[in-house]
Amino acid sequence: MEKVCVIGAGSTKYGKLQESITDIAVQASAEAIESAGIEPKEIEAGYISNVFGIADKQVHLGPVIMSNLGIPEKPSLSIESACGSGSVSFREAYANVAAGFYDAVLATGVEKVTHTGTEWTTTYFSYCSDFFYEGGAGASFPGLFASMARAYLAEFKATEEDLALVAVKNHDNGLLNPKAHLRKKITVDDVMKSAVVASPLKLYDCCPFSDGASAVIICNEKFAKAHTKNYIEVIGSGRGGSPAALQGREHLTTIPSTNIAAQAAYKMAGLTPKDIDFAEVHDCFTIAELVDTEDLGFFEKGRAVDAVRQGLTKLNGAIPINPSGGLKSKGHPIGATGIGQVVEVFDQLTGKAGERSVKNAQIGLTHNFGATGASCAVHIFKSV
Amino acid sequence: MLQAQVVQYIYSKVYNLSAKEEFINDAKSGKILARKCTKCGYLHLATTYYCQNCGNRGFENVHIEGKGTVATYTIITVAPAGYEKYTPYAWVVLKLDGVDLRISGFMQNIKSPSDLPLGTRAKIAGHDERGLLIEKL
Repeated sequence: MEKVCVIGAGSTKYGKLQESITDIAVQASAEAIESAGIEPKEIEAGYISNVFGIADKQVHLGPVIMSNLGIPEKPSLSIESACGSGSVSFREAYANVAAGFYDAVLATGVEKVTHTGTEWTTTYFSYCSDFFYEGGAGASFPGLFASMARAYLAEFKATEEDLALVAVKNHDNGLLNPKAHLRKKITVDDVMKSAVVASPLKLYDCCPFSDGASAVIICNEKFAKAHTKNYIEVIGSGRGGSPAALQGREHLTTIPSTNIAAQAAYKMAGLTPKDIDFAEVHDCFTIAELVDTEDLGFFEKGRAVDAVRQGLTKLNGAIPINPSGGLKSKGHPIGATGIGQVVEVFDQLTGKAGERSVKNAQIGLTHNFGATGASCAVHIFKSV
Repeated sequence: MLQAQVVQYIYSKVYNLSAKEEFINDAKSGKILARKCTKCGYLHLATTYYCQNCGNRGFENVHIEGKGTVATYTIITVAPAGYEKYTPYAWVVLKLDGVDLRISGFMQNIKSPSDLPLGTRAKIAGHDERGLLIEKL
């Protein structure tokens, strides 16, 4: 297998955007191309992730984006894997470069949904569940994670205030990220007083619906060295699955696919969780970050609560989690999120993260899943 | 078979309609339709086509008594389209008695967590436009 590198990264601001889905996808892609210092024609293929293009009247985004980049002749793959779509397009790009099919490719993720309103998004997002049993019985996505939260709080004697600490921490980080959707300092009290969406989760336990696009340039080592000194290497890549419906899982306080994907990525990298300097994890809801950081092996089962109480996951903690602000504060344009995490790791490991830089970071991990973790991808990166 | 019947047969196999219809019929009489692997005995919900444990494709139908305890749940206040008129309601994961199976569904008339402590006894009470219905025993 070829060594695989990320040599360029770009992202629009996440939030409520006015431009079309195509415009924001192309803006992020162009920023990645310029950041890599390459010509568009050097890109051999595109991996384009998106879930609800239908909301902005544009599906089959791959060829549309390639055409707008002036390379209509280049092949593309349009990818949907719910909220984990971005990491799947990254993985497909990685695999094709690792296998030697291409020297350099583009992976872009995009979403444009905020113009549709809360009812449309709540309803359409519920189609990402195992619909016969979940969405089709009244479960929203906050509801599914709320069910995990209730089981977690009962099993590990944690409180809703503990969940709130995750939101407060991620908002603190997002405040330092100029591209974050919700740049606002919040307190535990703010979270506790926010409206209940699906008990025990309240509005401030939930990530926002966001518009946004992120893109990276992925290539082999030879191509990387010929173009730039500012690049990072992909040293681990793993994917996994879980029963699509929560009812199919023996334990409701763990997401099996995270562990499967993480073990594969750690094995490939020859690393253990202790070697990771920081991680961008899938915190679509506060409960998810607690579950994720346990399933990734950073903390024992039920102990992520102690870690959050002690501040171990803060920007200056022992293992900073979501320095970007995470889905919670940076935002969650679902087709872009998995790529956006790689953009953050690229910025962190190439010294471009500004005020939110993790000190002395050399190894970063990304973790992104679809639905309630029915599908998951984990990647590990190292600075060069 | 006539061409239309062949198309309908393939459609039902591809889209799993018959299994879901059977499941719904069982739910209307308070049962959960499960499929038991004829090779290893592993129990699945009706819509599984290969044994998760051994990969076998042979199953026999098992009609499980739709009673159990509430494993977890949420009370929905911001609902997907079609469910607004029912808010607040609960979406419940029920651990079925005597088998290693959980089933999830809709429960009306739950306004606060004090209405439904974890471990509450509940039963399958039908299936309609709200999905699988679960009620407190």
